[in-house]
Amino acid sequence: MKLYRRSLWVFHLNSGSCNGCDIEILNALAPRQDAERLGVKLVGSPRHADAILFTGPVTREALPSVVRAIQAVPEPKIVLAVGACACGGGIWHDSYCVLGGIQGLYRVLKSMGITPPKTFFVPGCPPKPEAIIQGILLARGLVRQKQVRSEYYEEQALAEKAEVDLHRLFHKYFWVRVPPEAARVKYGVAYY
Amino acid sequence: MNRIKVLLENLRKGVVTEQYPFRPLRVPERLRGKPVIDPDKCAGCGACVNVCPPNALTMRDDKHSSMRFIVLFIGRCIYCGKCEETCPFGAIRLTKEFELAAESREDLYQVVGLRLYHCPMCGEPFTTVRLIKRIVEALPEEQRAAAIICPRCRESVTAHYRSYARR
Repeated sequence: MKLYRRSLWVFHLNSGSCNGCDIEILNALAPRQDAERLGVKLVGSPRHADAILFTGPVTREALPSVVRAIQAVPEPKIVLAVGACACGGGIWHDSYCVLGGIQGLYRVLKSMGITPPKTFFVPGCPPKPEAIIQGILLARGLVRQKQVRSEYYEEQALAEKAEVDLHRLFHKYFWVRVPPEAARVKYGVAYY
Repeated sequence: MNRIKVLLENLRKGVVTEQYPFRPLRVPERLRGKPVIDPDKCAGCGACVNVCPPNALTMRDDKHSSMRFIVLFIGRCIYCGKCEETCPFGAIRLTKEFELAAESREDLYQVVGLRLYHCPMCGEPFTTVRLIKRIVEALPEEQRAAAIICPRCRESVTAHYRSYARR
């Protein structure tokens, strides 16, 4: 992102988090992991911020303040969803009193006619301070994304062959008469 | 005097800041990081889905394409390692990977799709082919018959044979 070539000032927004992620954010800014050497600065007001470090599953109580804080950040803005709660609801994802993370919050924002800002996800429960730093650097385009979606689908032909073999085994063991309408000739193998 | 002591100590310690993004980080030996499913070992039994506290692992049977999907959403995972403990095939394990930041939510998913096994009697899908195959291989010869039909058909077959036994 060209807009964030320069130092990123972040505002830490807690929407009902357990404080685990918040402590890790402070660790990331503290001398050991020192995010300030990368130009990250924690600011006290959303009006001074470029990015929001968003933690928590968005409780109902916190919702009005969270919406106001997000509106207060000047455009262009980005949101970093830090922690499992903010990314996908965490262990509270099906609780009655939370919106289930940033997804639920954006649903509310859309219903209010506000376009959700660009979001980056930093999963972890809580994420390591280094992981938060990596998320911030990813938002600035300084590091490459490591996490990618992976999909695997079992090969159809092999699985069906194995299934037919198992069905043959069935006829070896059972003398139960199978009604013809239940016979599966789907694979073109008439083994009933 | 005290200040000089502190100064000397700090000089001896040197810089404590980690050079993280520029140099790789040395992580602890037993760090619980990103869980990864080995798709070749996974049989789709759903044991991990049962124990997962935040439902980061979910299971969905699609009868239309006769596939079972084990979906791991890392965005919700709390890295407790229960899935690793429970998995009977050692298919899911926690790696030391912690750099999981992603630009989109879709990147946080891992999908494993396995073929469903249909009961030879009623034709209904009930588990995966792979799981039944492994069960059959593990069982002794005389017990294999019970494993290859669905629980409902097993009931009816048992009732059938028992009805002969009473006569």
